[in-house]
Amino acid sequence: MKTEFSSPTPTPPHAEALSPMLLAVLANRFDGVVREMTNTMLRTGRSAVINSARDFSCGITTADNELFATAEGLPAHTYGLNLQTATMCAYHDDIAEGDAYLHNDPYSGNSHPADHTLLVPVFWEGEHVFTVCAKAHQADIGNSLPTTYHAAAKDIYEEGALIFPAVRVQRGFETNQDIIRMCQRRIRVPDYWYGDFLAMLGSVRTGERRIRDIFQKYGTATIKRFVVQWFDYSEQRMRLAIAALPAATIERENFHDPIPPFRTVQIPVRVKLTIDPVAGQVEIDLTNNIDCMDNGLNLSEACSISNSVAGVYNCLPSDIPRNGGSYRCISMKLREGAAIGIPSFPHSCSVATTNVSERLLNNVQAALAELGEGFGLAEGGIGMGAGMSVISGTDARHADHPYVNQLIIGGNGGPGSPYCDGWITYGIPVVAGLMYRDSIEISELSYPVHYQTIKLTQNSMGAGRNRGAPGTLMTYGPSNHPMTVVFAADGQQNPARGVRGGGDGNVGRIDLIDETGAETQMPNVGQVELKKGQWLRGLDTAGGGYGDPLEREPSRVREDVLERFICVAHARDVYGVVLNGAADEETLAIDDTATMAVRLAMRSARGSVRSGGALPADV
Amino acid sequence: MAVPQGSGWRISVDTGGTFTDVVVADERGHFTIGKALTTPSRIFEGLRAALATAAAALGLTVADVLAHTAILIYGTTRATNAIVTGEVAKTAYLTSAGFPDVLVLREGGKFDPHGFSKPYPPPYIPRRHTFEITERIDAGGGIYLPLDEDQAERTLLSIKARGFEACAVSLLWSIANPVHELRLGEMIERILPGVPYTLAHALNPILREYRRASSAAIDASIKPLMQAHLRDMQADLRHAGYSGEILVSTTIGGCLDIDSVVARPIHTVRSGPAMGPVAGRRYAEFEHQQESVLVVDTGGTTFDVSLIREGKITITQETWLGEQFTGHMLGISAVDARSVGAGGGSIGWIDTAGLLRVGPRSAGANPGPACYQLGGQEPTVTDAALVLGYIDPHYFLGGRMQLDIAAARAALKTIADPLQISVEAAAYSIFAVSNETMINAIKDITVSEGVDPSEAVIVAGGGAAGLGIMPIARELNCRTVIIPRTASVLSACGMQFSDIQVEHSASMPTRSTTFDRTTVNEALAAIDSHLDSFAARLGARGFNARQTAYRVDAHYAAQVWDISVELPGARLESAADVAQLVQSFHANHRRIFSVDDPASPIEFLNWTGRLSIALPQPLASAPVAPMAPSAPRHIGLRSALFDLDDRREARVYRGEEIQPGAVIEGPAIIEEATTTLVLPPGTRATLSPAGSFVAEFLPR
Repeated sequence: MKTEFSSPTPTPPHAEALSPMLLAVLANRFDGVVREMTNTMLRTGRSAVINSARDFSCGITTADNELFATAEGLPAHTYGLNLQTATMCAYHDDIAEGDAYLHNDPYSGNSHPADHTLLVPVFWEGEHVFTVCAKAHQADIGNSLPTTYHAAAKDIYEEGALIFPAVRVQRGFETNQDIIRMCQRRIRVPDYWYGDFLAMLGSVRTGERRIRDIFQKYGTATIKRFVVQWFDYSEQRMRLAIAALPAATIERENFHDPIPPFRTVQIPVRVKLTIDPVAGQVEIDLTNNIDCMDNGLNLSEACSISNSVAGVYNCLPSDIPRNGGSYRCISMKLREGAAIGIPSFPHSCSVATTNVSERLLNNVQAALAELGEGFGLAEGGIGMGAGMSVISGTDARHADHPYVNQLIIGGNGGPGSPYCDGWITYGIPVVAGLMYRDSIEISELSYPVHYQTIKLTQNSMGAGRNRGAPGTLMTYGPSNHPMTVVFAADGQQNPARGVRGGGDGNVGRIDLIDETGAETQMPNVGQVELKKGQWLRGLDTAGGGYGDPLEREPSRVREDVLERFICVAHARDVYGVVLNGAADEETLAIDDTATMAVRLAMRSARGSVRSGGALPADV
Repeated sequence: MAVPQGSGWRISVDTGGTFTDVVVADERGHFTIGKALTTPSRIFEGLRAALATAAAALGLTVADVLAHTAILIYGTTRATNAIVTGEVAKTAYLTSAGFPDVLVLREGGKFDPHGFSKPYPPPYIPRRHTFEITERIDAGGGIYLPLDEDQAERTLLSIKARGFEACAVSLLWSIANPVHELRLGEMIERILPGVPYTLAHALNPILREYRRASSAAIDASIKPLMQAHLRDMQADLRHAGYSGEILVSTTIGGCLDIDSVVARPIHTVRSGPAMGPVAGRRYAEFEHQQESVLVVDTGGTTFDVSLIREGKITITQETWLGEQFTGHMLGISAVDARSVGAGGGSIGWIDTAGLLRVGPRSAGANPGPACYQLGGQEPTVTDAALVLGYIDPHYFLGGRMQLDIAAARAALKTIADPLQISVEAAAYSIFAVSNETMINAIKDITVSEGVDPSEAVIVAGGGAAGLGIMPIARELNCRTVIIPRTASVLSACGMQFSDIQVEHSASMPTRSTTFDRTTVNEALAAIDSHLDSFAARLGARGFNARQTAYRVDAHYAAQVWDISVELPGARLESAADVAQLVQSFHANHRRIFSVDDPASPIEFLNWTGRLSIALPQPLASAPVAPMAPSAPRHIGLRSALFDLDDRREARVYRGEEIQPGAVIEGPAIIEEATTTLVLPPGTRATLSPAGSFVAEFLPR
């Protein structure tokens, strides 16, 4: 057993405290550094996973390896850069200015091997003061299969990724070309990889220059003072936010679907949250989870922590800085050798950032909903289905040039929240809407793929006072040569759950449609080769609802009917709202009397079913 | 004064939400400014009132001024406001079957990864006004699924029955083969005669279905409104006796004739912010500043920043109406004027853990800052500037509005007390933190264009420009700041310097490795023929000084975001021309991103021609005014704070008393009727012959 961030050490008031102005100004300056790093990466990344899916994060850690600034990084990446820089410091006793380190080792702090990370120590006046980090999901990492999500891998050897445990790739600002050549030999799309490597390098070196500018202007003493005060401020924000929560201990379990044949039973995901508003502390206990599995779905330590913490942040004011200061208010209990905890080598973590991570993040935010009305979130739609699969093959239009790329063309619906309906372009819980969607035309131009349909589904969302967002339905196939599609989805059995009386979203589905129109359902995890004339149809999942659908304002239900998110029958059967007229704005009208009667009947019918406190006691 | 006969005066009009600004330029290039309240019910009333103040200053009547004007350039926020408030036509959106959600899904993306309290923004045209048309063109331009005319006919009949006022048609790959969109256009004219419609491939033939659809939807939805608005304006002007040319300012920083704008009213959207950099570029030229120019425009609630590099205003295809991701993308080329919510009205506050924050909430003009005494209680940047001594409470807007310094101090005390600092320190802190937002906005645009702000000059416009621009410039290491005396009417001035400009694009993807020169040249010829017909129409009206520049949007294979590269000429005549284009792309990529990848193929996508027709310029060069170095007299001293603990006696000057050539050293405050320039210690400003204060930092 291991406890993270164990001892919060409040700093005593300092005689030389920075002025409120300087505190705010410096916070802005460091935030600006990460923004500039992020913009550099976004604009220069070569693979779509970076410049379209935004599957990357930039950040700054202190020299003693506390996460300092992250800006708008992916929730899945919010934590872990500090574990990686700690590894860099542990493995190298000659860290110097001009160094850069490549890290993707899930056993020493990385999320999963596909997230290559560049770490650059920043020096000022001979002292290592910060480390700047850029982490980016690569289009390919030389796995044994053309996917960066190798669900079948029983261990790291079968997975086949090149692993870099904080390997020095630059010394004196010069790149070690041996390492570049190793990667280019092994990685399927060496030009994309190298382009992304250059983008990361540009990003971290920019960050390094900007931090040195700040030291130049303000001096070492002021910056060191600022770091202390900024952590204290962040901690204080977090403590106050936690103080507003009720005291509780909540245990909750949800499930990742079975992924036959690699695992024929569900994967339980168990969290135990202890909220102590007086101490301003949340404990997240993951120790009751199963042992590591012989497949690629084990979580790395970084993912176990990151997605637990993200679940908490999702339910607190969103402007609390996510750094070592606010992390002091969260303690983690993790178990060595657990599938959700600290993985034991050589168990594979190839798919660590998505599938089980999505369930974990959902579980934490939905557990917090049990605190009472106004707290927590429903579960968000899950699974990288057909619309987020990796396609590969050769393109007849470009002299059979090979291609491999993850599509970002579909997506799941976001969770209902205490405040509003789910976010439509949510994707999956771990990216929470940050990613860009591919343009259909750019996708068809860049890859030999043809889309028949991409649209949102109807009646699919978890109903609720605030409903989930719908998922996407899409159909596509190759436009010339056969195309291999690799998917590692979830959600065909266990949907995104609603909370506080809200309904569940739909389950997902992937079907192969052959030349005759015959349909064959595909498993969650698998791969298929499509010939021209064959199609893959994907149904993504909707988010869960928050609160009782019978409490949704009839006017919002009518609006959902007008906007074709639900049909008239669904409005009546699920929301108890009776509508008259045709489903167009000219005639559709709410029958108030009938609605009241139907809702009353539904409530009393439910009363007999739900007695015994299926809803939390305070409802 | 006597009216000069036979002269070609020029009037520019900027109708904003609150004020209508008018600039009258005589044939010598002398500007006279008029200002009046905007009259939304009939815009011409406000225009006439503003013109009357300018005419009065010239000792003339409105009729006199109109009689001697050859060109009137009209800028309007009508379209922008209608879009923001949703008061647009009931518009049907026709899309390819199977893809009804292009406008809903946009291009994805979101700020605030842990925020779940804001609802997903509705699409520009609701789903209930979206109609799927059975057809499909494929990526190669082939007809994958023929247009089902029966289904289309039924759909259009239902659109007619439901009383739609406009139609937007945007089908997948219509840019590769417009046959289905063209056929639908014919059917709309037959079934819905008189109902305005927009075909996306004709309006904006670019790749990326969302951008194209969004521009078509916006354009169609404002057609009924803008057609009526511009025709009314034209009629009112004619009725008032004006017989000269009427042009309308556009979103690429040019102007167009009314007929063109009526056909494509989207080009008027955000034309106001587009004109700031047009003015800024010329003001920088007057001061012989050849470097990159940052043009900032500071108002009460927004701060706009744009960039001019090598004399060219930065253009973007990614202009959002509203916030990025959650607004609606304009989709057409537009001057890259980025807005952030920061200005005199931004409110300072303290968060739960004691950190000082400024904005994004703004008191706006109503209730306004506490010192306005219109009901505002919270401390704003304007309150801070007043307490710091930068603003004279008795000379705000030239003395038209009295400010209450006690109210400002009381509001600031709510910040000062919890932070345990003085009211003055709170004021300076709010001021400094507010400047940070603007510094970030400037850094964002320079970073994304690969420009070092320390090698740029700043042109500062807007009523609040002069208060904080010197500390901002110092932070960015900019050496020179230009503050035109006409700073408060920057957009209207920009129109005075604008040309007739029109763009046309063609989507013709090709790779550097298999470059299809023939087809690209055909696409360029098609662009030319489109531009030629436009030029011929204007040529018949005497506008003949034309030139065309060409550019292409391109990216490395598998990159997603494009950069623009200029073509070496009107056609790619040889392999050498292509090689030069390829080299230009690498060089641009290196400049913007500091890396390039010469081994990678380049994908060229959208080809654009920009036709410029120069208008007779009232100001071909800097206006000549008598200039003699002088040290003007100050009207008094005022105690002002220039850092947390740096209080100085600043000399106060009245702008109208300062002659060209005058040199003023900080600490000083120069007050104009509509703007104030604060010169901190260590700075110096010279009034140039062109009428701008050119401020610099003294060597330390």
